[in-house]
Amino acid sequence: MTAAITANLPVFIIIAPLFVAFVLPTLAQRMRLVENLVISVEALMLFGACYLASIVLFQKGIPIIYQMGGWSAPWGIELKVGSLGAFFLLVIAIVSLPIALFARGNLTFEVGGKERRARFYVLYLLLVGALAGMALTNDLFNVYVLVEVATLSCCGLVSARNHPRAAKATFTYLILATLGSCLVMGGIGFIYIVTGHLNMGFASQELGRIWQNNPRVVWMAFSFMLVGFGVKSALFPLHVWLPDAHSVAPSPASAILSGLAVKGYLICLLKVLYNVFGHTLMQTYSVHKVLVLVGMVAIIAGSISALTQDDLKRRLAFSTVAQVGYIFLGFGLLNTKGLAGTLFYLASHAVIKSTLFLSAGAMLAVTGKKNIKDLSGIGRKMPVTTAAFTVSSLGLIGIPLFSGFVGKWHLLLGSFESDNILSVAVIIAGSVLCAAYLFPIIRIAYFESAPEKDWKDPNVPQKLALILLSIVIVVLGVVPGSLLELAGRAAAELLVLQ
Amino acid sequence: MSILIKKLIINYPYFAAFIIFSIGALTVLKRSNLFKKLIGINIMESAIFLMFVASGNIRGGAVPISNNNNPQSLYINPLPSALMLTGIVVSVSVTAFALALILRLYRSYGTTDLRRISEMGNEVAE
Amino acid sequence: MKDFILKRMASIILPFICIYGFYVIFHGHISPGGSFAGGIIVGLSFIAFSTIYGTEKGRKKLPEKVLVWTESYGTLWYGIMGMVGIIKGVPFLTNKLAGVNLGVPGTLNSGGLISFIGFGVGIRVASTMITLFFTMMEEE
Repeated sequence: MTAAITANLPVFIIIAPLFVAFVLPTLAQRMRLVENLVISVEALMLFGACYLASIVLFQKGIPIIYQMGGWSAPWGIELKVGSLGAFFLLVIAIVSLPIALFARGNLTFEVGGKERRARFYVLYLLLVGALAGMALTNDLFNVYVLVEVATLSCCGLVSARNHPRAAKATFTYLILATLGSCLVMGGIGFIYIVTGHLNMGFASQELGRIWQNNPRVVWMAFSFMLVGFGVKSALFPLHVWLPDAHSVAPSPASAILSGLAVKGYLICLLKVLYNVFGHTLMQTYSVHKVLVLVGMVAIIAGSISALTQDDLKRRLAFSTVAQVGYIFLGFGLLNTKGLAGTLFYLASHAVIKSTLFLSAGAMLAVTGKKNIKDLSGIGRKMPVTTAAFTVSSLGLIGIPLFSGFVGKWHLLLGSFESDNILSVAVIIAGSVLCAAYLFPIIRIAYFESAPEKDWKDPNVPQKLALILLSIVIVVLGVVPGSLLELAGRAAAELLVLQ
Repeated sequence: MSILIKKLIINYPYFAAFIIFSIGALTVLKRSNLFKKLIGINIMESAIFLMFVASGNIRGGAVPISNNNNPQSLYINPLPSALMLTGIVVSVSVTAFALALILRLYRSYGTTDLRRISEMGNEVAE
Repeated sequence: MKDFILKRMASIILPFICIYGFYVIFHGHISPGGSFAGGIIVGLSFIAFSTIYGTEKGRKKLPEKVLVWTESYGTLWYGIMGMVGIIKGVPFLTNKLAGVNLGVPGTLNSGGLISFIGFGVGIRVASTMITLFFTMMEEE
């Protein structure tokens, strides 16, 4: 029994959230059961992810290959638990459990009645399952299907609040995201036309051998993939849907959208770029230069747009645009340190941005005020929430002892290693701008007088979620340890190929 | 020049896919009517489907159904068609979801024009 | 609608359309079509019933609860069929290696678990289509 479970863990970790999600609509009348189911599935995912990560760490780089239906690689669909997959799976599990916990306390305010809450959980688990699939899959068409599942459930989560503005934001998001997935599918089509394979490993081998025959088709595949995943992960000029969608969504949904969903697309892009095209081909087509350039523009432009926002959730949403820039920049550095730093930064941003959105959501739920200026003195009335907000802000800026610093530090080292002084300057400038748009909130929260109102910290599950996430931020900052090692090994594996 | 034309004629499905894709993309980006945007998305998706399915075609190949009345040994590649079935399912669900959203928007704003909806902004109540 | 001919013809034809849908579902592995196409045909027969006889009667024939249950458990059925392989000690969704008897190629029982999986997917697709139809009709 135990052997069957551990041998099939890669597939269980994907299908458990998916199939529980499908059963939830029939249980909508028993909300307590639904919530318990969701939390237990998330907890089991965390256990499974820890187990897989420890195996991958222990095996020193030999990935676990799982063949769906018993069909071996070029014909069947493969799940591959390498360092990258185990790393991202761990991030998903760590972030999604506290968000589910938070949603348990907060969702009645954000979404409404039982039916709507049950549907929210359905979409939430579908999104988590799709993300877990993205982390593990080794098949290009699977990537497309999972991206589509994730996109549709993201759209559902954005429109979970029954409000016309949510419907408008969702429509914009849906149209742009579908445009993006069309482009992704086109890119996969070009790769299939050139190589005749959909398995990433085989496609990569074939591409390395015969790309000279159709250089233009490969070029098209590159550009389709970049623009497609760029739209989905809100790369700067293509980010127009993000601020509306992420600020209008219910707070737990914004947390998982900004924290994890965007990262899922980034991991897919990373897999396609490094596992399919390979870094030599990237250098031939100068894709890495484009990535670094686009990332730098996104950091500066996103941070400046975040500075101009007065709405708390909109400011955080624009900050996500800036942080996505860091990750794109890191993808283009093409050295182990930079890539490991990028992956660690991705993980720490997932944790940090979820904490920021959750604490902002808790403040919003208690005060009913969206504007930053109206939150004066909230630090004394809601100590736990504001403390979580402060810890995560410090992490996002990159103060030592918080998790953002470790990632940024390695990113800086990577930039130095590739002699890219401009990107070093941009990373530092981005941190300064980040401080410029987050410190005023903390100042207003702690150092201004509070109005005479009955503002209190949220109920126990929400507090617990915030405390858990803050602890993760601090622990990752003080002892990055095995997660950083996993990231480093994933980066080395990505760069070794070909 | 003649080589280019020859290539275009040989690869006519890809050329058609390119034209259809451009029509769809232009419709999505330029029209402000929600329904037209949705139709544009569908046109774009069908262009990609066409490209994918055309990539599986082998001239002179038979339908890849194995039965005894079909002695030919050259079959077209069925994989892209099977994959595109998944793509069509996805496109159907996107369309259904988008139609539901359009209904919702029409009920609260009274119009299906995105520009006018943006002008109304936040005035509309819940 | 009050069209007498339409109603009589529909009452004759619609059962056959529904059965044809199930035929397409179960023959998915040996002929064109499959669970998605067949499920749409099954769903269409009910949608046609509701348009001809009125949404009220269609609702009575398929209450919302039934639709929710088929939609949820149709997909779960897929998972249960996938588990057959895991119980036998081979990977998820395995067909032949799990010891399922694959008969003569080209005949109906040559698909092993595929027809069973197709049944789950088919009723799921059918109920999704019907749910979508009812939802759109209600939003007047």
